[in-house]
Amino acid sequence: MGLDYKWVLWNAHKKTYDRLILLGMVTYLVLFFVLSFLTNPEIIAETVIIRAFGSLAIIMLHIILSIGPLSRLNPRFLPLLYNRRHLGVSMFLAALVHGVFAIIQFHALGNSNPIVSVFTSNMDYGSLVNFPFQVLGFLALLILFTMASTSHDFFLYNLSPKIWKGLHMGVYLAYALVIMHVFLGAFQQDTSLLTVLALFLGLLTLVSLHLKAAFKETKIDGMAGAKDTKGWLAVCHPREITESYAKIFTVDGERVAIFKHEGKLSAIHNVCKHQGGPLGEGKIVDGCVTCPWHGYQYLAHNGQSPPPFTEKVKTYALKIENDMVYINPEAFPEGTAVTPIYCGS
Amino acid sequence: MKGENEFYIGYSGEVGKETKKVLTRFVWTAVFVLLIGVFLFGFLQQPAVNSSFDFGDPTQVSGVYHESPYPMLRVQLSEDEYKEIVLLGFGKSGPNPFLKDLRKKEGVLHGKQMTIEGQLIYYNGKTLLEIDDSQKVSVSGKGDSIVPSSLGKATVAGEIIDPKCYFGVMKPGYGKIHRSCAALCIAGGVPPVLVSKDENNVEDYFLLTDLKGNAIHQDIVPYIGQTSRLKGAVEQLGGWKIMRIDISQIVKLDSESSIY
Ligand code: HEM
Ligand code: FES
Repeated sequence: MGLDYKWVLWNAHKKTYDRLILLGMVTYLVLFFVLSFLTNPEIIAETVIIRAFGSLAIIMLHIILSIGPLSRLNPRFLPLLYNRRHLGVSMFLAALVHGVFAIIQFHALGNSNPIVSVFTSNMDYGSLVNFPFQVLGFLALLILFTMASTSHDFFLYNLSPKIWKGLHMGVYLAYALVIMHVFLGAFQQDTSLLTVLALFLGLLTLVSLHLKAAFKETKIDGMAGAKDTKGWLAVCHPREITESYAKIFTVDGERVAIFKHEGKLSAIHNVCKHQGGPLGEGKIVDGCVTCPWHGYQYLAHNGQSPPPFTEKVKTYALKIENDMVYINPEAFPEGTAVTPIYCGS
Repeated sequence: MKGENEFYIGYSGEVGKETKKVLTRFVWTAVFVLLIGVFLFGFLQQPAVNSSFDFGDPTQVSGVYHESPYPMLRVQLSEDEYKEIVLLGFGKSGPNPFLKDLRKKEGVLHGKQMTIEGQLIYYNGKTLLEIDDSQKVSVSGKGDSIVPSSLGKATVAGEIIDPKCYFGVMKPGYGKIHRSCAALCIAGGVPPVLVSKDENNVEDYFLLTDLKGNAIHQDIVPYIGQTSRLKGAVEQLGGWKIMRIDISQIVKLDSESSIY
């Protein structure tokens, strides 16, 4: 973690996973080429390359964007989330081949700079059907490039998780640009009703998965209840929390995870310092709260990552009165030790 | 996830049975989506036409050079059969940069017998020739040049394309996908051509000039690659029709091109 980010975390799973990505991509491209030349014998290789890589990239983008909400809906998808980066980088490479070939084919060898001509060879910016769709693809490719080139943890630490996360939310902007690139570009000339419908269906699936995941998130949260006389908030009965797991509550607009470890309760801020993963959906492993997203660990009683790591999250005071757990909404500074309270169950 | 014992930690590499099942299902779904994708994007492409570009396979052509409005070579095929081959340059450019040296040496080229080695582009009875090296052009004596004959006025709806790509270099060589390339080609010196198609799918081609019969390039760029209606005096120059137009009178039609 903090101190020892590695260039790439390699293990057997990652290798299987990378092999699957490569196999999938190569199979797609080979099938695309064979099918194109068999059924459309007059087609030229440049067009097939542009179309094969472009369509591969947009399909991979759909798969990538489904992983986030799927793993929030069902934690068994989490291994995919953990390994999502390589899929992202591979998708960028496919898009890059598409973009570079399109620029060489349609914009090179003219009397203006190929990149400049992406922006200037069609000036119908005011029109929808005549819009220079290449510009949309170009901007999407720039965003994907920024993300692929900063995907390593090195940048995560040097840019700060917040900026990094923000940067990587750009994938949604890129997706929107790519969809418009296709609908205002190729679909204006060469497409089938089925292809248009399929892309609509893809969009619809992604939107509904995201909505469903967001809806589930609001339901996971318990609501902190009425304040007692000193401003503490009632949250739940001690037995509602399972040993080694947590329940998440929204306390003064912040999400807090209350963990039970060896029959004792501790409360920490729910947001992982790595990439904002929901700590309360993790589990206590080897005595440490373990983030469900990439496995960062924290000690429940002080919100600190075990040495030599240096991550710290905020902690909260708890008390039990009349078989009811109360939380003090005033958080302690990050990494403050709080004695876990015994609840006997 | 409460009460479940499976908890995946990325770096530990242990995956439970249930998780494995979910992941396998995900992989198969992805494979299925990819196959659908190949079918939709690969199989359902519109068929390309049988236009040709003899890339890497040059041909030597001899004929009488015709200068205006666009350089052509009139090649004798048999006793009284001729073909007018429109000349083009390398990449997205016209032939003039490749004829510059020769003009300096020989003066006026119009009407001279010329031999060129270049790469042929041909489709639907029309032939063009790409010159990629000014060293591969030579002149020898004089020949008979062609004279245009008037065909009267006409109004034609169609799409303005660049003939280099349309007649062979690219597929598709027309329409929105190809528009930027066509704009660069024509701005670079390739002659603009209007393509129209009748109900029987028979195509007609018009080389476009201004009202005085001079070549047009940059000015027509905003009209390329879209359906439009053009009006002008048409004349026959060998195997090509030429239409003299007033660019400001071009009407853009918001309909799908008949050549898609
Ligand atoms: C420099 C950036 C880009 C340029 C110049 C560009 C250019 C083009 C062109 C000219 C076409 C039409 C090709 C044809 O149908 O013959 C096209 C289609 C397409 N592009 Fe892009 N593109 C760029 C970036 C992207 C990116 C980043 C993606 C996706 C991640 C993408 C996905 C697609 C798809 C799915 C199609 C339609 C299907 C197809 O024609 O195969 N493009 N693009
Ligand atoms: S978000 Fe990556 S480990 Fe928590």
